[in-house]
Amino acid sequence: MAIVAQNSKFGTFGRPILAWAVALLFFFPIFWLVFTSFKTDADAVNPEFLFFFTPTLENYANMTENYDYWHFATNSIVTSVLATAVALVVGIPAAYAMAFNPSRHTKDILMWMLSTKMLPAAAVLYPMTFLAKGLGIYDTHFVIILVLTLVNLPIVIWMLFTYFKEIPKDIIEAAQMDGISTWGEIKEILIPLAWGGIAATALLTFIFCWNEAYWTVRLTTTEASTLSALIEGNRAPEGLFFGRLSAVSAAAVGPIVVLGWFCQKQLVRGLSFGAVK
Amino acid sequence: MSSRALPRLLQTPAVVLLLIWMLVPLGMTLFFSFIRYVLASLNRPEWTSPSFSNWRGFGNYGFVLDSKDFWLAVNNSLFIVGSILFLTVALGVMIAVLINKAFPGQGIVRVLLISPFFIMPAVNAVLWINMILDPVLGLNGLAVGGINSVIVDLKDAPLIGWFFSLWPQLEPISFRSSQNSAYAVIMMVTWQWTPFAVLIFMTSLQSEDEQQKEAAILDGASLWSQFRFLTLPHLGRPMAIVVMIQAIFHLSLYAEIEIVSRGNGNKNLPYLIGEFANNNIGAASATGIFAVILANIVAIFLLRAVGKTLME
Repeated sequence: MAIVAQNSKFGTFGRPILAWAVALLFFFPIFWLVFTSFKTDADAVNPEFLFFFTPTLENYANMTENYDYWHFATNSIVTSVLATAVALVVGIPAAYAMAFNPSRHTKDILMWMLSTKMLPAAAVLYPMTFLAKGLGIYDTHFVIILVLTLVNLPIVIWMLFTYFKEIPKDIIEAAQMDGISTWGEIKEILIPLAWGGIAATALLTFIFCWNEAYWTVRLTTTEASTLSALIEGNRAPEGLFFGRLSAVSAAAVGPIVVLGWFCQKQLVRGLSFGAVK
Repeated sequence: MSSRALPRLLQTPAVVLLLIWMLVPLGMTLFFSFIRYVLASLNRPEWTSPSFSNWRGFGNYGFVLDSKDFWLAVNNSLFIVGSILFLTVALGVMIAVLINKAFPGQGIVRVLLISPFFIMPAVNAVLWINMILDPVLGLNGLAVGGINSVIVDLKDAPLIGWFFSLWPQLEPISFRSSQNSAYAVIMMVTWQWTPFAVLIFMTSLQSEDEQQKEAAILDGASLWSQFRFLTLPHLGRPMAIVVMIQAIFHLSLYAEIEIVSRGNGNKNLPYLIGEFANNNIGAASATGIFAVILANIVAIFLLRAVGKTLME
């Protein structure tokens, strides 16, 4: 019984204190990024103003002038939204087929799809550049949307598959008895019933598209470049522009972190391919 | 049976798209890896376009295997991925067990903890290498500078001054320099992915058998043996998944390597491919094939371990 007592003492004081300390430690870099973004470039590297300084919004106000922020942000939004939409349009019918009309090969197909995620992007770097330039789609929204769709399709299908499998088969079978068409089945039954799962998949795919940092850098120069390409292009200012760089970085990740807070639970399921719920 | 034909056809677009995505670029990489192919050559302009007449057999593979950078990159890839996996799983289990029980502010702690996972890799690297790890202007440099000035002040202090005058000036560690940049990458990626491990483990812990645990407590099992014989086995499957997902992502780490050191002394395979691809496409492609082989070894191993549990 001594152990239980010891346990509860730790539970009352030690656990919350330690937990909060760990959480604050992990959050600190993000806090510091936002904190620095309110300093002028000069204050940001001046130890005198490490903690106490006159906050300013000039870094945010000058973001367009300094970095052309909205050009890159628009590209990020356009490519992420459209890639998510295309991945869902291709993924929903596929996941539907696999969840409700499985064949002997369905499991193998699902595992194979997952294995395409393991193909290292760098291995096909040059062919992709070569094809994109040859087809005249290099540095266009089109090629970024295409690649983002393909990169995320396996995860989209896996996630949707796990949600669809939870829909009772009886409902679908009853509708089939009534002679519903396949399209009607998807539109009238599947989508309304799995709405939450589809929304979660969309949200997560959007986050992955937004944060993608290999193809968006490698297949663009300026026209279709996204925010991750913008930040990577300004990687090492050697202390000159800590303030303004912090501001543009915070503006690049802010919306996504907030979105992420809302889909923590779905993140678990999505990234564990339904194995942990 | 015929009524099922149409529904089954619905997976065709996805399968075809992924098949093309997998086969076409990879086929090209395979072809390029067997020919002499460079982007610019004054002496041999015929090498600048891909053609069977420039066949080189396994020459590119030999060239890559002989280059010192290749083995450095393989070792570095494995070192970086291995370290990150170990750290994220170890920290992840500890933190998940810590915050799994209810306490004041648990919800906020969760939100704070998960946040790093949503930071885009480019911002993660820029933030760490500049604002935090810079040896002069980052917190790293400022902290070391602060400690040094305290020591200098203490040297003039009465009585204890002689003790501090024995102390050397501390030098901040520069993570942009070659040997240390791998540690910077490991640090920033561990920071980003530990929350992911915590989230998965926490979700899994919620389904842990409480009755079993209570029985163990009544039997007088120590906290350690509860953890060792109940919690840890329960986390086996989520651990395998965390390892698999992270291996997928980290074998192709790129932005962090690029931003921290531009590959100085700290290349991994994707970075080496990028460097070769600036001119020598043949070598880049051969390296790419090696990267695929490495990823496949890892993938087969992991899918074997995890695949079955995924399909349950």
